[in-house]
Amino acid sequence: MPDLAPGMRVRTRSTDPDGHTRLPRYARGAVGVLVEEAGVHPLADERARGRAGTPQPVWHVRFAAADLFGAGDHTVTVELWEDYLVPIGERA
Amino acid sequence: MSGTHVGSPIAARVRHVEALLEHRGLLDDGEIDRRIDEFLAGGSPANGARVTARAWVDPGFAERLLADANGAIRELGLSMSGGLQEQRLKVVANTEAEHNVVVCTLCSCYPIALLGPSPGWYKSEAYRSRVVRDPRGVLREFGLQLPGTTRISVWDASAESRYMVLPRRPAGTERLGEEELAGLVTRKGLIGTAAV
Amino acid sequence: MSRINDVGGMAGFPAITEEPDEPPFHADWEAHVLALNGALIRRGVYNLDEFRDAIERMPPQEYLAASYYERWFTAIVTLLAEKGVATPEDLATPEELEVPGA
Repeated sequence: MPDLAPGMRVRTRSTDPDGHTRLPRYARGAVGVLVEEAGVHPLADERARGRAGTPQPVWHVRFAAADLFGAGDHTVTVELWEDYLVPIGERA
Repeated sequence: MSGTHVGSPIAARVRHVEALLEHRGLLDDGEIDRRIDEFLAGGSPANGARVTARAWVDPGFAERLLADANGAIRELGLSMSGGLQEQRLKVVANTEAEHNVVVCTLCSCYPIALLGPSPGWYKSEAYRSRVVRDPRGVLREFGLQLPGTTRISVWDASAESRYMVLPRRPAGTERLGEEELAGLVTRKGLIGTAAV
Repeated sequence: MSRINDVGGMAGFPAITEEPDEPPFHADWEAHVLALNGALIRRGVYNLDEFRDAIERMPPQEYLAASYYERWFTAIVTLLAEKGVATPEDLATPEELEVPGA
């Protein structure tokens, strides 16, 4: 994964994992913009299986409501582990 | 709500499990009562109100609060380490152009140290499901009518940070001192479902 | 897996209701459940994510019918059994064991 940086556009993972995850369903497969790094933490999906979990950066990712729900003029900022994110190149 | 009476089956079940764990040495004598007292003493919306009032009267503090909230609240003797480990605090400021509102859609994450125990509505499916999709409608139900020109920013506490909204200082409060200003701030204002 | 706790954006839930002068707990047992969970996590019996996972694994109809701290207690009992701390029989009250299928 290339280094993530604020302003970068990312797409969230669209798969439905078999277990605990902190990527909400409404934010799956969506394109958002990285706002700010929010620390480094073990991946919750792994910890929920009783493992220590690999520490990785967590990001505030901002989505336009219209991109999530097809309507709405607000934004929703979700806090997501890097594991959930795929960079899609150009800066917003 | 079901199962809330003293003699209810669930109260008996909880007592039973607690006794079993005490018997097996997984709970110390008096540990449960001590933890309950700590929880109830550990946080209050008065803390969030103090932080807010300080930010209103001290622009330097407001700047530090938005850049590094954990460091800034330490200046007031507060911390986010009341739980299992220190949590990152993110403070988001309301402006004329933008209003912030906080939710945890997946469970009930919430900055207890600054806001006290969370209200039932914050933990409800009704709030968690709707505020990400229709914040303007939800805020209207709370009696908060925002101008159409005010952008709404919803924050979903889906990972390790906890969020507090910094409300706007109400007009006409120029003469009030810090303590009086703190008295104006409500828990809902700190979540974003009220103006202050 | 998409689970019942993951309600963001879902339609069909009722209007939001506020309880005036809401107490932190509505019964003593709720406070005990909160403290019990804190104690077990602190002792490393399970971690916070395992706890959340155990709540999320509740059958949807049970999750929706349960109050907040009933969900917590369900998760605690589930994890104590799964971690081998106690058997389901140990964890049940005599009254529960008397009722078949309860």
